[in-house]
Amino acid sequence: MSDAVATRPVDAFVAAVRAGAAGARILGAGLASFAVDGRAPSVAVFAGSIDDVQACLREAHRRRLAVIPWGAGSHMALGNEPAAYDVALVCTGLQRLVDYQPADMTVTVEAGLPLAELQAMLATERQFVPLDPPGRDVATIGGALAANAQGSLRHTAGTARDWLIGLTVVQADGTLVRSGGRVVKNVAGYDMSKLYIGSLATLGVIVEVTFKLAPRPAASTTLALACDSPHGAAMLLFAARDAGLAVEAAEMLAPAAAAEICGAARWSALVRAAGGASAVGRSVRELRENAAGMQADVREVDAATAWPAWRRRFAGRPVMLGLSVLPSRVADAAEALDGTIENATISCTVSAGVVRAACDATDDAAARAAIAAAREVARQHDGATIVGAAPAAVKRDADVFGPTRNDFPIMRRLKHELDPQRILAPGRFVGRL
Amino acid sequence: MTRDVVRALERALGRERVIASAEELIAFEYDATIERGQPQAVVFPDSTEQVSAAVKVAHRYDVPVIPRGAGTGLSGGAVAAVGGVVVALTRMKRVLEVDAVNRLAVVEPGVVNLDLSRAVSPFGLYYAPDPSSQRACTIGGNVAENAGGPHCLALGTTTNHVLGCELVLADGTIAQIGGRSRDVAGYDLTGAFVGSEGTLAIATTITVRLSRLPESTRTLLAIFDTVDDASNAVSSIIASGFVPAALEMMDRNIIRAVEPMLHCGYPLDAEAVLLIEVDGLEESTAEQAEAVAAICRANAARELRLAVEEADRALLWSGRKASISALGHLFPNYYVLDGVVPRTRLPAVLRQTYEIAERYGFAVANVFHAGDGNLHPNLLFDEREPGVTARVLEAGAEIMRACVAAGGSITGEHGVGLEKRDFLSWIFGEDDLRAMAGLKAAFGAGEQYNPCKAFPTHHGCGEVTQAQVQRAAAAVGADLYV
Ligand SMILES: Cc1cc2nc3c(=O)[nH]c(=O)nc-3n(C[C@H](O)[C@H](O)[C@H](O)COP(=O)(O)OP(=O)(O)OC[C@H]3O[C@@H](n4cnc5c(N)ncnc54)[C@H](O)[C@@H]3O)c2cc1C
Repeated sequence: MSDAVATRPVDAFVAAVRAGAAGARILGAGLASFAVDGRAPSVAVFAGSIDDVQACLREAHRRRLAVIPWGAGSHMALGNEPAAYDVALVCTGLQRLVDYQPADMTVTVEAGLPLAELQAMLATERQFVPLDPPGRDVATIGGALAANAQGSLRHTAGTARDWLIGLTVVQADGTLVRSGGRVVKNVAGYDMSKLYIGSLATLGVIVEVTFKLAPRPAASTTLALACDSPHGAAMLLFAARDAGLAVEAAEMLAPAAAAEICGAARWSALVRAAGGASAVGRSVRELRENAAGMQADVREVDAATAWPAWRRRFAGRPVMLGLSVLPSRVADAAEALDGTIENATISCTVSAGVVRAACDATDDAAARAAIAAAREVARQHDGATIVGAAPAAVKRDADVFGPTRNDFPIMRRLKHELDPQRILAPGRFVGRL
Repeated sequence: MTRDVVRALERALGRERVIASAEELIAFEYDATIERGQPQAVVFPDSTEQVSAAVKVAHRYDVPVIPRGAGTGLSGGAVAAVGGVVVALTRMKRVLEVDAVNRLAVVEPGVVNLDLSRAVSPFGLYYAPDPSSQRACTIGGNVAENAGGPHCLALGTTTNHVLGCELVLADGTIAQIGGRSRDVAGYDLTGAFVGSEGTLAIATTITVRLSRLPESTRTLLAIFDTVDDASNAVSSIIASGFVPAALEMMDRNIIRAVEPMLHCGYPLDAEAVLLIEVDGLEESTAEQAEAVAAICRANAARELRLAVEEADRALLWSGRKASISALGHLFPNYYVLDGVVPRTRLPAVLRQTYEIAERYGFAVANVFHAGDGNLHPNLLFDEREPGVTARVLEAGAEIMRACVAAGGSITGEHGVGLEKRDFLSWIFGEDDLRAMAGLKAAFGAGEQYNPCKAFPTHHGCGEVTQAQVQRAAAAVGADLYV
């Protein structure tokens, strides 16, 4: 019996990592907190450096052990059930600031640093990376990128792909590869960095990133515009967009969400005007005028409470759904969704066609019903749904990313090229890659 | 063999869509560089299906496929390096759909960049990436090169504005990547495809984001007595934490080339001018223009001119837009370089650029996207001077090395193509390049797919560039050295 245990590949792996990765700590028990979809790994490796990540993957690759990389764990609900899971590779020890040149407006950091810590450091120079994913402020940069997590800044700043200019990843076999660089404009080589954003680490483990930065706005005001219908709220937001107002974030909230986040239980637009003082002044004035013209109630709200509340409501909920429809269909889709999913918190980044719904479904049946409802609403509005979180048993029946398309063969070959043994988060991605 | 391929192409697309005679092929031997290569045939498909049919023929006969837009490329990407079938997309130039509410358009790849902006201007919209070649270059070529332009400083380059494509893969299969939003499940193949220099697949329709024309725009011309002062002003503007809509620099040789022709108001005795644009709400542009002017003054600008009216602004821009083509007035030939440096390193690397050019005995004219740190030194020369081309290439390589040494890159927007393949190893290791080769394999694009481009020279391409460049230098006219 003990002989059989001693020859397990995992034990050989642990011995090899001990020998090869000096800075790594290894945990062989109490691994429930590293469970993914209810499945715990056999071992957790805490990497202290990029070298450790390389050593860990080299040894895992040699033994075909399945590895799931971890940041702070705030976005681990996203993804299909893993097909196998032996090693949790924890990257939170990778926190080195590699290079920050405020005058170049670029920063290079290791990926285990919490995004919030990076932002705090950049704030001293009045700069930031315009990414504000939902969640407690623990998400690591690598985790936020691998999950392509996005928050209210999506309205103006796009997604991580618009700010990432260089990336270093460790591939499945431990090889370190770079793409991009540290300059804001660069077309040398394929833009591989895009592939890792939102890949759930199925192509490589993100260990170092370079962002271009944005200046922090000088002034900012948050308004809640309470309307009678989603169409009214959406119309106000389209008007602001078409007038080119200095609006940094604009979410349309369904009544229940509005009640929780900014007051009135009505369809509301939560809008943050930001920029130079005079541009903010004019934007706030026009937002108020437009709202008055539609009999909407306008209130200035405390940004320091409203936005963190918004972020909390869309993180860590048992069931989370993300619909993507054209902006012009958002109001219809949100209304339909609000009528079909019980006790859902719904918020939409109208300009990006993003509809989020989160709920605390009490059992698998309720979760299944919510997902089916979201998929039906998406279908009716020519959109698609990604299930951001759901109970494991529910995920088993349906690919959380929905059906694959005719570019899936390219994705499958890409996975095969970069991770031929399928050791990186196997089964978790689109088409259960 | 060639005859069989041509016949098969004619059968698949119709004779009127295929050319294969030596005289007709001449126009398709080059792009805007000094590279040259003769294809066996050029086809002009009208639809995705015809592109697919042509690619299938090439695939069956195992001959190279080379996608081609307007041929304005500055790295040899559309040149048939080792023969093959050029797929010219210039007939596929319909704007298929404009969705003003959702701010997107679906276009065929042969649509000319400026034509797209014109087509959507009635809606108060435009297509943001604006390469200086925008009157001629195609959206397909822009996607392939991830083209930039003066207004990409604030709004980003092509990659930030492309949502999805329909592709014809190397075996003729049709696939859709991306979509109408960024939230399509799966790997971001669109992100990897943009900038792939025609080496992965042919885009047959492209979905782009449209932007709203700003309410107010102000253009500032800042005039300097030294290049150092001008480049220090650029660094200070960026360091101040403000990103203008455009921030371009032109030096004395550019001014001397354009001013006598266009009378755009650049003083002939200035060493450098900056063209700075701010846009947005009326309230902010006035403030921002003043802030930028103050920074220029602090960096010893000798004069500042503000243009608010459309006609005045257009005049200031006219010199910038004609810069490269006007160089022909100074010297018979010029060679455009494209390097990037961190913005704080601009003053130092510009100094090095002048120093290197001088050491090689060349005059150099700089016109570039200063705000991005994206340099375009143009080496001026006369091809009739024996051995000059080799020296131009050497000087160019040395300037590229200086960019890399400063922490920059060997290309910001023109691409690697045929010209810079062997510089790639200055910034990427073998493992990095192997991962990129994995992407090419994933798209099923083999050795015959736009061969000899974008990767370090490999077997079969031999000395294409060198030999080609030298022969071409003797053969092509001045206007090709764009
Ligand atoms: C005067 C001048 C100024 C310029 N200014 C700028 C500038 O400011 N910014 C900038 O970025 N560039 C600039 N360029 C370079 C050039 O115009 C751009 O690279 C442009 O994007 C090329 O477009 P094209 O249609 O001419 O493509 P081509 O030169 O025909 O082809 C370029 C590449 O694209 C590929 N390709 C073309 N169509 C497709 C398709 N449908 N699918 C897949 N691959 C395809 C080709 O194989 C080739 O590799 C300038 C060029 C000139 C001559």
